[in-house]
Amino acid sequence: MKKNKAPLFVLFLLSLGFLQSCTQEQTSESIGSEMVTSSGPPDLSGIWQAVNAASWNLEGHTASKMPVTRIMGALGGIPAGMSVVEGEEIPYLPEALARREENRANWNNLDPVAKCYIPGIPRSTYMPWPFQILQTDTEIFIAYEFGSNSRTIFMDRPGTEAPLPSWMGYSLGNWEDGTLVVNVTKQVPDTWLDASGNYHGPNLVVEERYTLLGENHIQYEATIDDPDVFSRPWKIKIPLYRRMENDARLLEYKCVEFGEDLLYDHLRKGYDGPKALDGSLR
Amino acid sequence: MRILTTWIVSFGLAFGSVGSLGDVPMTKWGKPGLQGNWDFRTVTPFQRPAAFADKEFLTSEEVDEFEAAVIAGREARAAADFDGEFDQQDLDVGYNQFYLDQGTRMTTTMRTSQLIYPENGRMPAMTERGRETAAYFRALQSRSPEGPEDRNLYDRCIIGFNAGPPMRSGAYNNIMKLVQTEDHVAIMVEMVNDHRIIPTGNSSADLPDDMRLWKGDSRGSWDGDTFVVTTKNFTHLSRFSGTGESMVLTEKFTRLDDQRLEYEWTVEDLEMFEDKFTAVVEMQLTEDDVYEYACHEANYAMPLMLSGARKQEANGEQDDTWLPSWSR
Repeated sequence: MKKNKAPLFVLFLLSLGFLQSCTQEQTSESIGSEMVTSSGPPDLSGIWQAVNAASWNLEGHTASKMPVTRIMGALGGIPAGMSVVEGEEIPYLPEALARREENRANWNNLDPVAKCYIPGIPRSTYMPWPFQILQTDTEIFIAYEFGSNSRTIFMDRPGTEAPLPSWMGYSLGNWEDGTLVVNVTKQVPDTWLDASGNYHGPNLVVEERYTLLGENHIQYEATIDDPDVFSRPWKIKIPLYRRMENDARLLEYKCVEFGEDLLYDHLRKGYDGPKALDGSLR
Repeated sequence: MRILTTWIVSFGLAFGSVGSLGDVPMTKWGKPGLQGNWDFRTVTPFQRPAAFADKEFLTSEEVDEFEAAVIAGREARAAADFDGEFDQQDLDVGYNQFYLDQGTRMTTTMRTSQLIYPENGRMPAMTERGRETAAYFRALQSRSPEGPEDRNLYDRCIIGFNAGPPMRSGAYNNIMKLVQTEDHVAIMVEMVNDHRIIPTGNSSADLPDDMRLWKGDSRGSWDGDTFVVTTKNFTHLSRFSGTGESMVLTEKFTRLDDQRLEYEWTVEDLEMFEDKFTAVVEMQLTEDDVYEYACHEANYAMPLMLSGARKQEANGEQDDTWLPSWSR
């Protein structure tokens, strides 16, 4: 019996297409050294944003109410999210965990970001606002939309130390097999890691790793080491997505004018609201 | 020093090896290199002093005399022997020479003012609308503040007093970082650490007219070897030297040599001023870092001002000293 070879040929073409698409996918999603071009390290330039609920809580959490739900309804709730912490939970020392719980209980009045203070690193990376990377040989400049904050990653200063502590810390970068590795030191202890009271002390050291996965994704990892607060170094892992719109650009989120309501409302003329919600600034 | 040496070597590798325009370092993509930290301190007056009425330039001897007089004036103030009779000026500016960092040199143009247009080196007259608006904000800032919004944007740490745009030498923090890629130029001024990310190719559309930003929306392009930035869409509160939301700012950055960057800017706002005005200075490449200036995070003045105002109200006190003496 003569076989009709047409279906087989079509199958063959489809298989080729499938294999080709697999190859493309594999190539575009290859990590690390495979993305290194002959002209130098991967180009991380562009506008990026995390798309998850890590800024609310790095650990896994269900949706919950906020104080503003009474005036904003469903717009004011905290969205649920899976843990981005390797091993699910942050390894606090016992006394430090108690401090975290105190922070959490008074979160909306104590969170430095609610006051529009600089979020620090790594929190700036997974805030729900985009940031833009400008990459040069000697320094990598990251501009964050939140608060119009920014920081410089020095690529040409190995072994140097920060002249003084700061909210964004001192960032030294180098390339390791196509991954941008950034050592961040000397952050003031006033920043938090998320909006759930997770915090650190003055001896925090963060090692960030930015690995380009294809054209439009970065795998972001940060190892957080602070022996005063945690029993061991721990790691978070978050994908970053390129903002793809044709007119994507950083706009302004000058949060001072919003933070002022929290910080100074009780000092306004004619203010008749609560004088103190929690014994802190109010 | 090690940092400095490394930086200079790296800068040279990145910008120095791909052709040149005289002493101007060039980028790999053939444009003059703008990247670096730039010091824009100068004692050249913004407006031409009356003593120089029709004199546009000074001689080198006159520059020396002027700079010496500025320094002598500062030293006299620093050495003033207070007798307990403090006046308002002492209270208004609680900084001594340790904190002030206004430079000691005039710009190398040897001009008598930073303003080069109008030709008399003075600000153009305000329109009636400009005068009315200025009076409104003056009254707002003269009164006992009812909330933070009554104070100026510098007190609130929303924009920096010398960060503009345009940038203009002020009391301190007169330094900016310029980061340059083929597609974008970032300008970050130490004062309040504000940044602008400026596309270099006019590739993206202008913002819609109803979208207003504190520091405007900047678009850049190259005109020969000059990087030209046009900024529009300012808020009605941004108010650079009394401008309003119609302000259009044109900035021109021209690398003069390996150490100097010419910075010329023109403001046009015919709603508030009867003419445009243009200034020019030269910025100097510096080995100093641009530090974090966490203004809002350490703004102890704002709650103290508001607390003081509420206390005065409770006591039934009137206070007309909320405008600093230097702006009365």
